[in-house]
Amino acid sequence: MINGAITPEKARSPEAATSTPHNHVSHAESSSTRTLIDELLEEQQRLQTPVARFSNVHNRGATPSLEPIYRDLIPLTAPSPGEQYAFEVDLDACSGCKACVAGCHSLNGLDDEETWRDVGLIHGGTRSHPFQQTVTTACHHCADPACLNGCPVLAYEKDPINGIVRHLDDQCIGCQYCILKCPYDVPKYNERLGIVRKCDMCHSRLGAGEAPACVQACPTHAIKIVTVTTHVNGVLSADTSAFLPTAPSPHYTLPTTRYVTKRALPDNVMAVDAEVLRLQPAHWPLVIMLTFMPMAVACLFLAVVVPGHVAELTGIGWFAAAIGLASSFFHLGQPFRAWRIFLGLRKSWLSREAVVFGGWFALVSILAATHFPLTAGLIPPLPKFFSLTVAAIGLLGLFCSVMIYVDTRREFWRFAQTAPRFFGAAGVLGLGVLFALAPNSSSAVAIILVVLCKLAIETRVLRSLDDDDDKPTEARQTALLLTGLLRLKLTARYFLALIGAGLVPLLVTLHYVPAASAWAGLTLALGGELIERYTYFRAVAVRKMPGFVSS
Amino acid sequence: MISALDNLLQNRTGPMTSELVLHPGDFGLGKVPARLNPFATTNMVCGFCSTGCSLKVHIDQHGQAINLTPDPSYPVNLGMACPKGWEALTPLAAPDRATTPLLRNAAGVLEPVDWSVALSALVKNFKLIQKRNGPHSISFLSTGQIVTEEMALLGALAKFGMGMLHVDSNTRQCMATSHVAYKQSFGFDAPPFTYSDFEESDALIFIGANPCIAHPIMWQRVMMNKRNPEIVVIDPRRTETAMVSTLHLPLRPKSDLILLYGVAHLLIERGAVKREFIDAHTHGFTEFAEFVQRFTPEFVSAETDIPIATLTRLVDIIVSRERVSFWWTMGVNQGHESTRTAQAIINLALMTGNIGLPGTGANSITGQCNAMGSRLFGNATSLLGGYDFANSAHRAHVAATLGIDSSLIPDQPSLAYDQILDGIDCGEIRGLWIIATNTAHSWINQGGFSELRKKLDFLVVQDMYATTETARMADLVLPAAGWGEKEGTFINSERRFGLVKKVARAPGQALSDFAIFKLVAEAWGCGETFRAWLTPEAAFQILKTLSRNQPCDFSGIRDYAHIDNAGGIQWPFTERDAADNESSQQRRLFTEGRFFTPDEKARFYFDEPRAMPELPDKQFPFLLMTGRGSSAQWHTGSRTNKSAVLRKLAPRELHVEINPDDASRLGITDGEHVQIRSPRGRAAALALVTAIVRPGQLFMPMHFETVNILTYPAFDPHSRQPSYKACAVTIEKISSSARRLKNQSH
Repeated sequence: MINGAITPEKARSPEAATSTPHNHVSHAESSSTRTLIDELLEEQQRLQTPVARFSNVHNRGATPSLEPIYRDLIPLTAPSPGEQYAFEVDLDACSGCKACVAGCHSLNGLDDEETWRDVGLIHGGTRSHPFQQTVTTACHHCADPACLNGCPVLAYEKDPINGIVRHLDDQCIGCQYCILKCPYDVPKYNERLGIVRKCDMCHSRLGAGEAPACVQACPTHAIKIVTVTTHVNGVLSADTSAFLPTAPSPHYTLPTTRYVTKRALPDNVMAVDAEVLRLQPAHWPLVIMLTFMPMAVACLFLAVVVPGHVAELTGIGWFAAAIGLASSFFHLGQPFRAWRIFLGLRKSWLSREAVVFGGWFALVSILAATHFPLTAGLIPPLPKFFSLTVAAIGLLGLFCSVMIYVDTRREFWRFAQTAPRFFGAAGVLGLGVLFALAPNSSSAVAIILVVLCKLAIETRVLRSLDDDDDKPTEARQTALLLTGLLRLKLTARYFLALIGAGLVPLLVTLHYVPAASAWAGLTLALGGELIERYTYFRAVAVRKMPGFVSS
Repeated sequence: MISALDNLLQNRTGPMTSELVLHPGDFGLGKVPARLNPFATTNMVCGFCSTGCSLKVHIDQHGQAINLTPDPSYPVNLGMACPKGWEALTPLAAPDRATTPLLRNAAGVLEPVDWSVALSALVKNFKLIQKRNGPHSISFLSTGQIVTEEMALLGALAKFGMGMLHVDSNTRQCMATSHVAYKQSFGFDAPPFTYSDFEESDALIFIGANPCIAHPIMWQRVMMNKRNPEIVVIDPRRTETAMVSTLHLPLRPKSDLILLYGVAHLLIERGAVKREFIDAHTHGFTEFAEFVQRFTPEFVSAETDIPIATLTRLVDIIVSRERVSFWWTMGVNQGHESTRTAQAIINLALMTGNIGLPGTGANSITGQCNAMGSRLFGNATSLLGGYDFANSAHRAHVAATLGIDSSLIPDQPSLAYDQILDGIDCGEIRGLWIIATNTAHSWINQGGFSELRKKLDFLVVQDMYATTETARMADLVLPAAGWGEKEGTFINSERRFGLVKKVARAPGQALSDFAIFKLVAEAWGCGETFRAWLTPEAAFQILKTLSRNQPCDFSGIRDYAHIDNAGGIQWPFTERDAADNESSQQRRLFTEGRFFTPDEKARFYFDEPRAMPELPDKQFPFLLMTGRGSSAQWHTGSRTNKSAVLRKLAPRELHVEINPDDASRLGITDGEHVQIRSPRGRAAALALVTAIVRPGQLFMPMHFETVNILTYPAFDPHSRQPSYKACAVTIEKISSSARRLKNQSH
């Protein structure tokens, strides 16, 4: 054992001297009871108090010390009408240090894992003149922001004066549709809060004449805020010629960030991660919703057009719709704010889908109640056109679902794929229910035809693999993901569809298996459609700004 | 009414909005997150690299750090920091901090023990080893990452208290070459420059340096240069810095010595040497001039792959621009003939008179935050304070200053890092104490170290984390407080003392290295010898006294507060400087051409260039280079990997750069998993197909654990620094089934 022959360092600050009991008792107790280990452990935990040591060094100056450095990096005046603020990145000055990302993180007090700015690397050039360049990216504060246009609850606002695209954190329902809409991968979902957050160009700093965090943090002044024109004579017309060549096309959202360089970028320049295959989130609640809602819509449609089994089809349809809609709530980070979802009706397909399906479900419930013994007597007889209307509204809702994804302008989710997949699922599952209720050869033929058509259309996305040109297009990335990392799922998808909606109806019709097997076939087909929807989400190629290899 | 409805429909305020609200932060900060509003701020130097940036730490009313921003008033970084600096507080809060000593029990498991048990285990085992194998059978391997006072106490304790002879630190891996080169050429390990030289130079010649990534805040100063400078980059790769250079020389790896001799040859041929300066202030130029005669442009071009026209252009730049500065770092320091290469750079500066004037110099950019402290006060190669162990007068002087018996100071030199490991291999060294370094990851040919571990009777690892590759191998782990949890000084690249302060509480039972060394001294029974080393600041006063009349004399620095108030102080800072109220923040050496050799003349050192020891051959046809891959990673990542932000900014997986010609020949595509094999082992990596590297060459970042399985243990004979950037490897596709398995595991 070591004895405390060494006296502890005398506390330098008055607060430490008064607040730690150690200093009152140590001399009395002395070395007999206290060892050097104890002394040092205690000393280790003692911090200098700010008052004692530092306050005389730092005055409470409210003027930012960096102001002289960034003075020339922010505009002196507010934008005129038809103009807005924009980031300008001087590629020649950017050295690749990435301080902008870390500075933004610290100065905005973001969560540990959260970053609002990203960096990536583009490369190219010739063998003799290879080229590489780091690229820093935050929100482009687009002139026509896709996030804002898609938001179902108006949680995005574009400041009428400075054009900054701001996110209203207490308005956001966490549906993450803006993440799907933004071609630059800007909005970031925050698990802790269940909402999306994103760069606001440090609008409150700019408002106080201070530079945004990234501008302050860049050692080589490569980022500044400039004023750009977005409207000519009141008409949207943004000059995107200074946007980054390798980035996703600026024509969709009119991003305002300018990337300037005095050097000519080589023609073959591309992001180092351009060929990296990235699986996207599965969004299981949406997978379930987008499988059961088509089934529900189809049941209610068939209840009108096919005689007999109206009660069963309506009941099953109601049940499927209940599962689908309930599931959709699990997708939301803030479901209790979702009542505002009608606000985006004017522009957002998600808003439209929610409103249409919400209203539709109410009507379906009424319809279902007329067939349910306990409630049937409570409801007056409904005219025929009620059922017709319900069937039509369901189809409209499904069309909105399709448009939600088409509107993201992702290649895999184009209309020619999404519509056949969603309506095809309705066909396969609706006919599957009908066939299970009443196995007959005509519905068997119909279901087999529909499933074969659907599979044929789905298979078309693999065609890009045959292209000689192996450029990393979105279509090719999707095809590579489906046949690579998702190969097992894709195989299972074909297998279940062909058995459940092909072989089983055939065998039932031929009486090789009992008629009740049709229900098993339906279950298999449902499994196949769930996997199809899963691959639909996971294999979509997402446009984004350049990143790094393997990150 | 309408606004209430409006508010109900569109919530512009609320708890989530409040989370991100900014608030004027005072202290010249501008707006800061309202929930992290500082009660006060204090400035301290960063604990990663040698740039020595000052960070303004925001503290709450308890003195605890809550955030930080770069310090605008400091002459080094002028309000800027790299991502590591911004994230400097994050690694302190990592969940895997070592919080209690850990001792390997009979079952072979590291088990928590209290400090008294840990200390007696250390003492008992080390003393037993010494009893059986002699006093020199225990060694330490230390670091460039702890404060000077701790390095000095460790060096003094080990050599004057515990009887060790062979001790070294990881600065051997980064700065030993500059240390030896300067010592021989200038008479003392004295980097001559100050950072304003970046701004005041007409031509900056970077040799084996990539400051854009490795020293971004030094690059900031280059970008502030208003003299329209030429920026020359001599580097086999087209690095980020090479991209923005005005002239890039992508020379064959490890042919830099020949290239530099060729430049000297051309300068002499053109008569572009400063005769007056050479005659007055140097020694050995005639022999050097004769030696470089055979380095004709034709020969040099053939050996380096650099066209004669490019060589001529480089010489034109040196001749035509008034202020030429030469800057080197690990590309030079880590080589099999690195000391002579560094001296070939020094020779160019000497012969052109580019030294001692603004914007000039032969300038070594240092690696670690306190490599300079280690070079002066590590007590490994040089006796404390840059003295010589072999010199009895020096030993007597140091002994007198420390108040110890001079017989306690060994008169023999210490073995270097690699020789200590050889000593373990042959059984002469059987006990090892590793402090704040990760040998099992960072040492060259690291597979060898795991084997060596088995030959050690007792391995002590003192670190912030019990999870480093090395700590996991230890018999005893001592939990250390980190940067920001203790006090002391660092010395940066430009010889500037900066202060480290205690702004956070170390977790659990972790103690500062200083406290641990004091405890070991007491437990060992030599506490009496180190009674004067009461606190880090008391130790600073001792070191200050030791430095008096040395070239690094900083006896004019009053105390820590003096350093704090002055914005760092560069050595030398003598009592006379203090009396003269010297307050310049940018001071360079040799302004009068007087060097630290006995005759005050600098020396020309040179040697025949040698081929690198392991050349690519048929079986291993590629040359593998390693180096810093990202500004977000620090060395083995034991700290930077703790920050989610830094992890995001760094590659997640090891990658290897390969030229498109080689890639297409081998059928390797971008992003594909490949295997790199050397005679010593193998590593898997993602292929990054890029012409940044030339055909026949590969590059891998050093921050990943498997890279040093590949490297070949070659050493410079003068500095014993390992040559990390040259070994022969082969690269091959991983069979598709293996790849699929790997993909699926993601």
